[in-house]
Amino acid sequence: MFTLDTHMHTCLSPCADLDMHPTAIVATAIQAGLDGIVVCDHNSAENLAAVQRAGQRVGLSVLAGMEIASAEEVHVVALLPDLEAALKLQRRVYAELPGKNDEEAFGMQVVAGEDGEVLGFNQRLLIGATTMSVEEVVAAIHDAGGVAVAAHVDREGFGIIGQLGMIPPGLALDALEVSRLTPLSVARLKYVPSGELPLLCGSDAHEPKFVGTAVTFMLLQEPTFAEVNAALAEKSGRTVLGGGRPMEDLSMHILDIAQNSIEAGASSVEISLVEDIARDLLEIEVRDDGKGMDPETIAKVADPFFTTRTTRKVGMGLAFLAQAAQAAGGELSIKSEPGQGTRVKASFGLSHIDRAPIGDVETTLMVLLAGHDNVDLTFRHSIGGREFSLCTADLKEAAGGGPLSTPAGLALLRQAIRLGESSLREPDPARQTRRPGNQTAASLEVNNEYRDR
Amino acid sequence: MRVADIAPMLNGTIVGGIEAADKEANGGYVSDLLSDVMGNANAGDVWVTIQKHVNTIAVAHLRDIAAIVLANGRQPEDETVRRAAEEQVPVILTQLPVFDVAGILYGVGLRGGRKP
Repeated sequence: MFTLDTHMHTCLSPCADLDMHPTAIVATAIQAGLDGIVVCDHNSAENLAAVQRAGQRVGLSVLAGMEIASAEEVHVVALLPDLEAALKLQRRVYAELPGKNDEEAFGMQVVAGEDGEVLGFNQRLLIGATTMSVEEVVAAIHDAGGVAVAAHVDREGFGIIGQLGMIPPGLALDALEVSRLTPLSVARLKYVPSGELPLLCGSDAHEPKFVGTAVTFMLLQEPTFAEVNAALAEKSGRTVLGGGRPMEDLSMHILDIAQNSIEAGASSVEISLVEDIARDLLEIEVRDDGKGMDPETIAKVADPFFTTRTTRKVGMGLAFLAQAAQAAGGELSIKSEPGQGTRVKASFGLSHIDRAPIGDVETTLMVLLAGHDNVDLTFRHSIGGREFSLCTADLKEAAGGGPLSTPAGLALLRQAIRLGESSLREPDPARQTRRPGNQTAASLEVNNEYRDR
Repeated sequence: MRVADIAPMLNGTIVGGIEAADKEANGGYVSDLLSDVMGNANAGDVWVTIQKHVNTIAVAHLRDIAAIVLANGRQPEDETVRRAAEEQVPVILTQLPVFDVAGILYGVGLRGGRKP
């Protein structure tokens, strides 16, 4: 399993921070626990080689990319096989990119070296739109051997749905990208209700602090373009497991705690998520039968400077979960004894204004299962009086006893989670009024758009 | 006001849904963001834009737009004209900029922001 941030800029993009130079980008990405990043400057790939060299030094996979603006001002991210393909696409784009940059108005376009040194300034109007239609952009990306991803579909400006009202029928996109504005669970219902295309989560970072704030989890052999390409096409057992916002989504915290449980040798992990509308309470509980902790360690785990791990894939640890709970009028409690397993429980005011979004529990379960077939996972989610529960041991039995971390097994799990989660969302005739701003109306509206496809 | 009467005011030519030029226009809307048009334009509006992608036709059809004015001398893509003919959406091509088109249409009595 690999964690990638599939969209970020460098100091070459006029709108990006000058601090987004190659060394800073790779250092931040490593710190955020990323295995790979995709460098996507506006209409250019001139800083790609430098970031790739900087990445090589620290063992970070830096994939080639570019964010191309079509004539309709739709942003399309290209994921490309290598530097050569990126330069080929860049020649095509430059030929269709009119205008000259005005540094006063748009900012500097710094061509940087791998150590962050300034090598020069790009003079083209990189922030501008090409004269290619979105169809031509997608075709040019495919010509260069790349895959075409509609960038930040959840953003009105420069997102394909905002600019064009809907995804043009027949447009040969390979994936849609969701920005850090929208939880993946919401985006899935809105944009790909029938699983039309895979969804990627990319931070679209223009400043170092946003690198890794939206990530995609993929089941790959290694974080290379060929493997990512296979995952988008669901080939050779490669797949996109999901994504999320590690700093924000509670589902990412759950994933983090459950991964701790597995590292503590648990053979069974029980996750429960209770949205108690009557008591206005959100409760998350993760219980395992791992090796447990002594009182000293328990006291330390809520300390942000403590970790028994050397790398952190997701989440910010229990200290940040405690902070998130307290900010929403709740609390974190940990019960554990050596040899007796661990129970972590976090409570939140359900309607509290500062309560973090739940995020995407599908991702949590998919990522947990993909890497750990020997662990029995139980997941329980209830909203109001409705409840859905899932047990991987039962699913394994239904799948004929084989492992679940196979493409077929993961598809089965995905289907079970989607069915279960949608049963929690179905409108209840007995209670018409739900929380304001619920997703149902929005998803219906977008479903209408899809009818026209 | 008929769409067919609007075209000469803009020194424009109608392409696409030519047979639908008898349609009545009773308001106007200006935007290049198609999601905005979907959300806010009214049925019977003349929609002034520089957006020439084929999706404009789908949006016009969806909102029951009387006609699209493609301003600033923009030339529609072939697919856009083909779909406009198929969906019977008149597209008026004009050299005038969007601002002038809106001014002229306002001057002859069309208004925006009507409540449906």
